[in-house]
Amino acid sequence: MKQIIKKYQYQLISIISIIIFLILWWLLCDVLNVFRTTILPSPIKVFKSFIIKLTSTVPDGGTLIKHIGSSLVVVISGYFIGVAIGIPTGVFMAWYKQIDHLIRPLFDFIRTIPGVAWIPVVTVWLGIDLTAKAAIIFVNVFAATVVNVYSGIKQTDEVQIWVAQIFGATKLEILRKVAIPSALPYIFTSLKVSLGMAWLGIIAAELLAAQSGLGYMIQVARNFGRADLVIVGMLTIGLLGAVLTLILEAVERIFIKGRKL
Amino acid sequence: MKKNNLKKIIWGASGLLAVLIIWYIASQRETLGKLLPNPFEVFKFIFQSFLTPIGQNTMMMHILWSMSRVMTGYILACVVGVVLGFIVGWFKVGEAIIKPFYLVLKSIPSIAWIPLAIMWFGIGEESKYFIIFIATMLIVMTNAIDGVLDVNKDYIGVARMLGTTEKQIFFKVVFPSAVPQIFSGLQVALSAAWATVVAAEMVRSSEGVGWVILIGQDTVNMVQIFAGIMVIGVIGLILASIMRGVEAKLCAWNRRGK
Repeated sequence: MKQIIKKYQYQLISIISIIIFLILWWLLCDVLNVFRTTILPSPIKVFKSFIIKLTSTVPDGGTLIKHIGSSLVVVISGYFIGVAIGIPTGVFMAWYKQIDHLIRPLFDFIRTIPGVAWIPVVTVWLGIDLTAKAAIIFVNVFAATVVNVYSGIKQTDEVQIWVAQIFGATKLEILRKVAIPSALPYIFTSLKVSLGMAWLGIIAAELLAAQSGLGYMIQVARNFGRADLVIVGMLTIGLLGAVLTLILEAVERIFIKGRKL
Repeated sequence: MKKNNLKKIIWGASGLLAVLIIWYIASQRETLGKLLPNPFEVFKFIFQSFLTPIGQNTMMMHILWSMSRVMTGYILACVVGVVLGFIVGWFKVGEAIIKPFYLVLKSIPSIAWIPLAIMWFGIGEESKYFIIFIATMLIVMTNAIDGVLDVNKDYIGVARMLGTTEKQIFFKVVFPSAVPQIFSGLQVALSAAWATVVAAEMVRSSEGVGWVILIGQDTVNMVQIFAGIMVIGVIGLILASIMRGVEAKLCAWNRRGK
């Protein structure tokens, strides 16, 4: 018994720390009534709201499931288009010097503009429907992908390129057989980073202009003073983001065997 | 080397020029002109906005409003983030206590805090400080943790063998070798803070650069939106280069990423 406790002592401390946190939160809210429920509802209330919200459409006209679905569809469509165009762009920018010199300054500037800032432009151009949201995600994802893929290709070991050249590989072959495989870990990092960007972008877009989605849900909940629903929404957003990242990491392990950055 | 640089500049400049020309031609077309403002009008608007106010403030004041929000939240976050990062990275017990909350908070995008921040702190300045604090603190903390964990174990071993105390190891070995990593965290965090303040101002505020582009959207004033975006981009660029300059000065002994 003692050995088991010793082995898992840190996990045990983690669990105790969470439990103490929850109890404190509960004490402050339900027993001592320090906070009003419009400011900080108790953990029990949050959990109840979560269960109820799964099937209830109050107050924003959609169940939690529907909001999740709506956000996910937009994120995934914008993400895939952004990645599909971003990866080749990054590769070409890094591999062909002329292209690099030509668009690098412009790109460096555009990259410093936060994705959120494009929301007004996209809203005026495309309105607030699914296409508009996907476009915002696309901008976010595209910039992040290009930057990471670019630096990945640039980090290719020169010696490996020389070796390939000596053996008579063409430029395209070197790119395909040397540069891209060695940039693969970077490409996967970029996939993960841009997934985070996509998730951030959708919440921002839905906070500002939307009729469904998790961001919209927490915005409406705020207007109604429903702090419990805001917290439910935030935790759902966090959880979904974590799940998406885990899926991506599983895919990464299949493609990059035994190699670590 | 010098010739190469000149070539780079010429290529880059012609790239920018080409975009400007295409942009200008596109903005002169009937249908596209409604969606895309004339680039020269945008530049004119930027210059004018420093003299004539948009809403209550001139552009300079909007920038200063946003900067003051960024700096307050950011500086607070740097201090707390570094301290927490060291606690989590260095003390096993600290890691066990803090890590679960860290993981939960990390998975929530900073922007998702905006509604709750408004409920907690109202629509005043405090809520913006809070959002920027949350957005940047976790980035700084993550880098501080990584910095501490990446310390070369041999150095610690050597220090132990020479009979240093744990305190000395921390201040003389772990802390200095974590500094470059922390610095890259501070850089990323500042960019993130800038992006977050724009978002926060768009959701709720009555001044700042985020407000400028949001009002542009409400009044369908494409010139104002593009002017705002350009100003946001330029300020972001300036902030990033300042940080890079500071890093080059302070961490000259390390030359990270070279």
